[in-house]
Amino acid sequence: MSEPVAVLGVGQTTYVRRHPESSAADLIWAAAEEALADAGLGIDAVDVIIAGVAPDALAGENCVEKTAIFGTGKPFLRVNTGGVTGSSTAFAGASYVASGRARAALVVSLERMGQASTSQRVFNTIFDPVYEKDFPLTTITMAALRASMLMRVYGYRERDWAEIAARNYRHALRNPLAHLHLDVTPEDVLDSPLLAWPIHRLEACPMSEGACAMVLGHADLAVGRNVAWIQGMASTSDSYAMGDRIRRPEGSLVDLLSLQRSAVRAYADAGVTDPRKEFGVVELYSPFSSAEAMTYPALGFCAPLDGPRFIQEQQEDTSLPVFNPSGGPQAANPVSATAMVRIAECALQVRGLAGERQVAGVRRAVATGQGGATQFSTVCVLGTQRP
Amino acid sequence: MTELVSIPGHWDFDYTYFAGEAASRFFAELRNTRVMGATCPDCRRVLVPARSFCDACFQRTTDWVEVGPEGTLETFTIITAAFPGLPEPPIVMAYVTLDGADTALVNLVLALDLSDIGAAAAALQRQPRVRVQYVPEPQGRITDFAFVLA
Repeated sequence: MSEPVAVLGVGQTTYVRRHPESSAADLIWAAAEEALADAGLGIDAVDVIIAGVAPDALAGENCVEKTAIFGTGKPFLRVNTGGVTGSSTAFAGASYVASGRARAALVVSLERMGQASTSQRVFNTIFDPVYEKDFPLTTITMAALRASMLMRVYGYRERDWAEIAARNYRHALRNPLAHLHLDVTPEDVLDSPLLAWPIHRLEACPMSEGACAMVLGHADLAVGRNVAWIQGMASTSDSYAMGDRIRRPEGSLVDLLSLQRSAVRAYADAGVTDPRKEFGVVELYSPFSSAEAMTYPALGFCAPLDGPRFIQEQQEDTSLPVFNPSGGPQAANPVSATAMVRIAECALQVRGLAGERQVAGVRRAVATGQGGATQFSTVCVLGTQRP
Repeated sequence: MTELVSIPGHWDFDYTYFAGEAASRFFAELRNTRVMGATCPDCRRVLVPARSFCDACFQRTTDWVEVGPEGTLETFTIITAAFPGLPEPPIVMAYVTLDGADTALVNLVLALDLSDIGAAAAALQRQPRVRVQYVPEPQGRITDFAFVLA
């Protein structure tokens, strides 16, 4: 049997290119202090601390979280699943609570890539040194390989990527924490420099650093408090090798099978049957606007061939969820934290604490995560109802 | 307000990556101008580049078979922004499924007309047939070959 898990508190720093005023410990402290205050708890109430930090090479320092191990003698572990680190970290903390091993877990993700002079060269090291690293594989070119396949298989056009990007930036204008506050049109996006066909610079995420923390806890700690409940969470892995997924009959490279499978399980746990109607808000892990397109069918928002049409529907149909009210990873991508930020933003929306970016009447929200060469996918459903 | 201190740093480490027996055999065959795949006894996929086990089935691979030398270009990108340590852009990188293989492998595509990026992209979207072209002096590495239009 599994205990229900509440998101009791959320803390976030601003996400910017560099935080020169803060050490790594300062950033973790700021997010953790805010999350604990939001939860109405002190550090003594926390039974386990889990830090999420993705590649050390982005910070240029091994185990950058080491200077912020709070509270004497608590169990502590670090999670690294590439881009999906933030949600893996959250799920690890939630598992401690769900299993009864902890009444409260502090989970915190730190991205310190402000210390890096180049991210793409570091990202090249996530690829296999034996068969792949010699080629210009980076997160940008990997996204481009997918974007061109989406255009061929599902009829997306360059303009679709630009429209998604413009919408994300527009939403970010109402998020004071976001890195980029850009007022741009789809035409501006298409006019930005081409990085790797078909991806333009404004369709790619910025290099952001910052920290995000959450306090997850047992229902007893939620009494009388404004919390969000984790109603479903699932994580699914896939083969690392992108080439193995190209002609796979069950689902190609752009079909995001691992996300679809996570969605099926998380929705089943949460009792979600009609995602188009049941979610007020969706926070997608998509550092490239084209990557969003892969999530729509995987999350059950439309059939795969209706993807391009769904982009238009989002603009026309107000009964659909609001996508990325935070601006999403396009407006801020603190890599280690990004997947946790999606969950945190959904929690804030469900609790009515999202300030200027609040969407009215959110009872249920869904957050996704993607990691590595998208061999990892997570889905987290949050809502007002205790499971 | 205190002046903020920033401390310069630099990672400059050398490494030796161990390719393992399977990849070493794959690279040896490349020197013989043969691209090899390995078969999974469970799912029967021919996995290219060859490797010791099928991760999906958790099974050791068995028979090694030659694939190609021609294949289908599955997906591509045309890199237009400079990337440190590689030839000047524009560069085309693609995943190709060689004839007889069930998986695709990545490499550069050479000798394309890239004077008009949009036109080049449109042509590559038609999934042209390509073939393996070996470098004059193979080193036993994945860069011993690239793809060209067949």
